[in-house]
Amino acid sequence: MKKYIEVAVLGQPNVGKSTLFNILTGKKVRVANWPGVTVEIHEGERIHRGHVIKFVDLPGIYGFSTTTIEERIARKYILSRQPDVVLVLVDGLNPERTMYLLIQTLEITPNVVVAITKYDVVHAHGIHINYKALEHKLGVPVIPVSATSMQGIMHLLDVIIDVAEGRKGRRDLLEVDYKELNVFIESVMEVLEKLDTSKIGFPKRWMAIRLLEGDPEIEGIVKRTLGEEALNEIINIREEIKRIYKRDPAELFSSRRFEYINELLKGIIIRASVEAKHKFITKYFYHPVAGPLISTSILLAVFIFAFTINTGFPFDIILEELGYHEIAVALEEYSIGGLMEKGFSILSGFLYKIMGESMSSHLLIDGIIGGVGAVLAFLPLIMVISLMLAILEDSGLAPRIAVGLHSLLNKIGVSGHAVFPIILGFGCNVPSIMATRAIPSLRERMRLIMTLPFIPCQARLVVILAFASALKGLNGALLILYGYVLAFIVFAIINRLLYEYDKKKGVVVEPDILLELPPIHKPILRVIWWHVWDSAKHFLIKAGTIIFVLSILIWFMTSYTPELTYTDDVSNSIAAGIAKVFAPILSPLNMSENVGWIIAFALLMGFIAKEAVVGSLTILTEANSAREAIRLLGLIDSQIAAITVFTILYVPCLATLAVIYFESRSWKVALLTILIMMSVAYIGMLITYFLSLII
Amino acid sequence: MIQSSLESLPPGKRAKIVGYMKGGGWTYRLYQMGLTPGAVIEVVANYGKGPIIVRVMGVEIAIGRGIARRIIVEPL
Ligand SMILES: Nc1nc2c(ncn2[C@@H]2O[C@H](COP(=O)(O)OP(=O)(O)O)[C@@H](O)[C@H]2O)c(=O)[nH]1
Repeated sequence: MKKYIEVAVLGQPNVGKSTLFNILTGKKVRVANWPGVTVEIHEGERIHRGHVIKFVDLPGIYGFSTTTIEERIARKYILSRQPDVVLVLVDGLNPERTMYLLIQTLEITPNVVVAITKYDVVHAHGIHINYKALEHKLGVPVIPVSATSMQGIMHLLDVIIDVAEGRKGRRDLLEVDYKELNVFIESVMEVLEKLDTSKIGFPKRWMAIRLLEGDPEIEGIVKRTLGEEALNEIINIREEIKRIYKRDPAELFSSRRFEYINELLKGIIIRASVEAKHKFITKYFYHPVAGPLISTSILLAVFIFAFTINTGFPFDIILEELGYHEIAVALEEYSIGGLMEKGFSILSGFLYKIMGESMSSHLLIDGIIGGVGAVLAFLPLIMVISLMLAILEDSGLAPRIAVGLHSLLNKIGVSGHAVFPIILGFGCNVPSIMATRAIPSLRERMRLIMTLPFIPCQARLVVILAFASALKGLNGALLILYGYVLAFIVFAIINRLLYEYDKKKGVVVEPDILLELPPIHKPILRVIWWHVWDSAKHFLIKAGTIIFVLSILIWFMTSYTPELTYTDDVSNSIAAGIAKVFAPILSPLNMSENVGWIIAFALLMGFIAKEAVVGSLTILTEANSAREAIRLLGLIDSQIAAITVFTILYVPCLATLAVIYFESRSWKVALLTILIMMSVAYIGMLITYFLSLII
Repeated sequence: MIQSSLESLPPGKRAKIVGYMKGGGWTYRLYQMGLTPGAVIEVVANYGKGPIIVRVMGVEIAIGRGIARRIIVEPL
């Protein structure tokens, strides 16, 4: 008996794969109502009846061609790793279409278990599936499951073990009837006869079909193993199909597959017509004027709501302006951010009292609590924002927003496909850049990879809010608004410029959209919670590792002289020594010398992680909160605004830079991104400074 | 039989896909999403501007106009 049972989980986008994977493994992978989000391969284990079942979450794909990276990853995995079981998900709300992947999987492996997802809502949609009959026809187990009601999950696990141990399932591959194309498949198989498939691991019939559809990867294999001549023979057969039927062979094969599915499902699936729900959405979301308006309003509302319950912002300021000082103060004090700030300052005071003034108390209180605490105070904000974004994603609103904004985005040379990476970018630029993999046009994707880092992520939001909190009255609100608007304008302009450049070089494809719109539904609580917990965890881990280490490092660099003796005077410290080299770059901002280098130092640290800008300032000023730190520095409003703008726009953090390189596989792209961002940030900073001096 | 491009179909109209005009790299993805010749589609929204929304096999799909222009259909 095997110790491990390896199960590859496969499904088309939106079938509910991430949700089910999380249920099966208790692991938290990103569940997103968006094609192409599962781009890395996640794994998770589960012990069931004495067996260790390892689930491998393959990317969501439509079929096994080579049109996207994801399709190549998935098919390579199944063919070369030969997992014990391939669990193929069929969407209960969309069985006909999602069976397409199942049929193709059965052509390459017989060890298949089928799960029909979302069974809790299938009947409500007027769909009835005779899954027993389907099981009988396909010869592999078919289990209806639901991630919300947990129906079928245990049974599914039992069946997976049965198939892995050979008690259930089929032995041979499925031979789809391609009708008039069958003879051509056989001709190609004859050419392939001499091929030793045991070495390659690909089934011959499947190879023949793929060759007729046109598959560069398999053509390469044939050329390498059987030679040019055999390949030409096969290409001739393909040309013959084209000549006879006057159609693209790939089109014919796809049509035959769907016909095969339709015949298979005859009498197995019955659809009662159910009144289409959410009709108003089609009426307004897709409207050329109302669509963009609703889409932007939703996104704006999300942010205003999140800001308000976290910081009291912007209502505290409005109340203040209207003369309701007390209410405004109370709103700020009892906002989540206000409470956190108070907590940390009480904690610091308490620790000083019991530990006294010593080097270790300085390290703990000013270094660690100062640095990490200043960042941690923003945890609730991050959770609230991911909550809102999760609702957008899970309800199915996000792809509608993509449609609503498509025409607008066309003006800057990208398509509606960019909406999801942009939304993710508000959280963190790293997944945002990875999500561009789902964008079909390569040039559009490259342009986005270079410009997405301009979208202010949550780390930069932390910095923006910290600086804004130091401004009085409406100015704080204006700074945040200005920061976001400016970031957007820059994102748009640079995209447009890159687009024009591509156009000049003649490598541009007009950005177009082709996007599945999953049904709108009430968000699933469990899924929402995963999202929130996921980003909270990400943030906490970051605060506990990078920010923690950085805080100690910063404290060390600010408490020791270059000769490594302890000093109370930061201007003699190592940090000051380094930063003073860079400080002249900021000289147009007219800061006094001992403030200038502190800012320069904070910005240097921000390159590692943007939150560190805030952490550095609190440590260097020995303040309890970012607000206090900035007050202690005595910056004027124009300087604060200029530094904020610079922080939003300058180099991406190290993690983002790494992902830019890995996704583009090009140093040129990574370096160009830094160059663009640095120059834009500097210009933006100067403009902001002089503009705000005039006003 | 009158053939036209998907782009010109009004909302509510049902049509059968007949074929594709050459060009663009989208064809294979269209096949995979169920938009093969012979498939019956229903136009959900078409405002003459912006993406066209169609329903095929019970799934709604947004199709940009550049792509829709190249899909040849036969209204039912
Ligand atoms: N009613 C219901 N909805 C589900 C179920 N599983 C997933 N969904 C929803 O289906 C959508 C797509 O799910 P997701 O796991 O992101 O699909 P993926 O793209 O295949 O990973 C989400 O909006 C989920 O909330 C289920 O068992 N029941």
